[in-house]
Amino acid sequence: MSIAAKITIFIREKYHGFISFLVLFLIWSGVCHYKLISPDFLPTPATVGTAFVKVVSSGILGKSLGGSLIRIAEGFMIGTTLGFLLGAVMGVSRTLERLFAPLINALRQVPIIGWIPLIIIWCGIAETSKVTFIAIGAFFPILINTFEGIRSVSHSYVEVAQVFEYSRVKLLRKIVIPGALPSIVSGIRLSMGTSWLLVVWAEINTRSAYGIGDLLSSSREEHNPGLIIVCILVIGFVAFLINELFGHLEARLNTWKKSYR
Amino acid sequence: MKFQIIKNKLLGLIIPLILYVAWDFLTSREIIPPELLPAPKVIFDTWWDLQSSGELALNMKMSLLRVGFGFLLGAISGFLLGTAMGLWKPVELYLNPLFNFFRQIPVVAWIPFLILWLGIDEWFKIVFISFGAFIPMALKTLEGIKGVPASYLEVVRVFEYGWFRVLRTVIVPSALPSISTGLRLCLSEAWMLVIGAELVAAGEGIGNVMVIARRLFQTDVVLVGVIVIAITGFAMDKVLGLLETRFLGLHRSQNAQ
Amino acid sequence: MERLGTLEVKNLNKKYRSQNDDLLVLDDINLTVQPGEFISIIGSSGCGKTTFLRLVVGLEKGYEGEILLDGQRLNGPSLKRGVVFQDHRLLPWLSIEKNVGMGLKNPKSGESRKTIQEHLELVGLKGFEKHYPHQLSGGMSQRAAIARALVNRPEILLLDEPLGALDALTRMYMHQELERIWMKEDITMIMITHDVDEAIVLSDKIVVMSSRPGTIKKIIPVPLARPRDRAGYDFANIKEEVLAEFQLHTDHPFTYSI
Repeated sequence: MSIAAKITIFIREKYHGFISFLVLFLIWSGVCHYKLISPDFLPTPATVGTAFVKVVSSGILGKSLGGSLIRIAEGFMIGTTLGFLLGAVMGVSRTLERLFAPLINALRQVPIIGWIPLIIIWCGIAETSKVTFIAIGAFFPILINTFEGIRSVSHSYVEVAQVFEYSRVKLLRKIVIPGALPSIVSGIRLSMGTSWLLVVWAEINTRSAYGIGDLLSSSREEHNPGLIIVCILVIGFVAFLINELFGHLEARLNTWKKSYR
Repeated sequence: MKFQIIKNKLLGLIIPLILYVAWDFLTSREIIPPELLPAPKVIFDTWWDLQSSGELALNMKMSLLRVGFGFLLGAISGFLLGTAMGLWKPVELYLNPLFNFFRQIPVVAWIPFLILWLGIDEWFKIVFISFGAFIPMALKTLEGIKGVPASYLEVVRVFEYGWFRVLRTVIVPSALPSISTGLRLCLSEAWMLVIGAELVAAGEGIGNVMVIARRLFQTDVVLVGVIVIAITGFAMDKVLGLLETRFLGLHRSQNAQ
Repeated sequence: MERLGTLEVKNLNKKYRSQNDDLLVLDDINLTVQPGEFISIIGSSGCGKTTFLRLVVGLEKGYEGEILLDGQRLNGPSLKRGVVFQDHRLLPWLSIEKNVGMGLKNPKSGESRKTIQEHLELVGLKGFEKHYPHQLSGGMSQRAAIARALVNRPEILLLDEPLGALDALTRMYMHQELERIWMKEDITMIMITHDVDEAIVLSDKIVVMSSRPGTIKKIIPVPLARPRDRAGYDFANIKEEVLAEFQLHTDHPFTYSI
């Protein structure tokens, strides 16, 4: 199929969405043009555009994203590593499950944002507290998905491995981990998504030099409505990217999962 | 058999017990300074003080009211949007792309915008919470309605049911489990967001009690706050879960394969 | 050298322990299978035939009596006994080639590759090496499972209703295939089935079991020349003999269930 034909089909099937966005944009422009809402509350599209160009060209957006991403990388690594390990041992051993499950379930009940004041007391308001907070948020989804993924591996496959005289290690490597993989990957996606919104929460509660949450806070303090909208769009776009990226990975792993009962 | 079950339950108490003993030991000898971690007994006393002075109840009432209003606002509007998109194809075609675009944006990003429009008082918090509740509700309602098995719809088409009868006999019953999941998701989201909103913007509320206590280094009060919000969140979810099994028990077991 | 693949079962009893009392599943089973024989075990649901097979595989533990393979007592699962389950149990995340190679110590070596290739050819799946189980039909999946069970050159192959989930036509085609594989590999096979025709088409001997507790009721030899004619007179006679075993068991001659 030629590219032109593909585009035609795409437009024919998706034009409704374009119309909606166009209408929304026209309403926005119209409201601003006729000054129905003061520009202090609703910035014009042009203001948003300028704010975006300014924040990109001055390098502030890049630095802010960079700062947040480093925090995420650290917190996410710590959180997912610990969560994966604990989820894996709890999945493999019923005794360890019984040992840890009540504690984990109790801690899980705390709404994650509720940890912020406590973490600030324990870790201060510098980097450590933000990283710890993200790590806690990333810890639970991966733990639960790893655990459930391992438990969902059918016993029939374990029996096949017994017939072929697999050792415990080989059983884990060849049957249990591959069987649990789709669930683990979706746990990683959840953890990553959570990390992204938690870094924003952490940064608006404890300020730092550069971070997307700090940019968000300063946009409000400076009464800069254009920048507010830019922040909303950027945060949304990154969340979307994370979801897409891991969603694709999941979909690839799911090709065999269709037949897996 | 019974003995085995009791043994398994006891096993789960070992680690909390060890942690508790270590906590008690370390704090009573002040190996860990009380500003960082007060003794278990202190926490209990603090809770008792907050409880008997009515401070806890007052602040919890404020938080729960906000959650209640925000939850209702968000859940109802989410349900309406989800239903509209699920039942009418044109609505879905035009609004779903917009909805998909806006739902990617984490609610936390809306804080400055909402404060700009609504100030930092009640309306900000309620609307903010309703934003968070709106998304899962609309999503789950849409999923529920779209997920009605085509085979059921074919059955009623053969019987030439009118649209209202189709709605009543097929669509509503098979979409209910998903909608009920949506309700639980948006309640726990609302509970988390009220804490978040209260951390950011002052006013009464359990989140605000924790912020003030944190600034004054009253670790005991912060810990009481953590425990109280965890128990409240758990209880709210349990209540919804019980209502769900009470009213939807049959549907749930039919759909769970 | 003496041929391997003799299975001897002597005074086998198997009990399941429940809360109050023991449930006797298998009661005094005695059976000898000669090398290269094809045996079918047939019986109504719940007669313990699957338990018997799982004992021989080694997946069930704890029994009284003796199960001997070439004079040696069984101890857990072993590569000497291949097994094909009713659900094919191919690992969905491995290609067919890798599934078939599951039991080999070193599946990447040249020799292993050759063995895998040979067995895929044997079951008629050449050209499907890189496919995944979800891309295969039920019959093809079951062939792959047979290849996987044979790849270690076991002395004995155990089949637990291997064709039970297939449609009638595919099943008849698979009968021919299974017979061909059995002849080519010259291996002992024990198959559990519900299907009387299937048992008569394939077996040298049919073991009829009765239920609660599971006992061997009769062993019926099938002295017909292969390939067997389903419409033949002798075939019908044997079928009647097998069915009679089930009718005798109940008071109502036509309500047997198999």
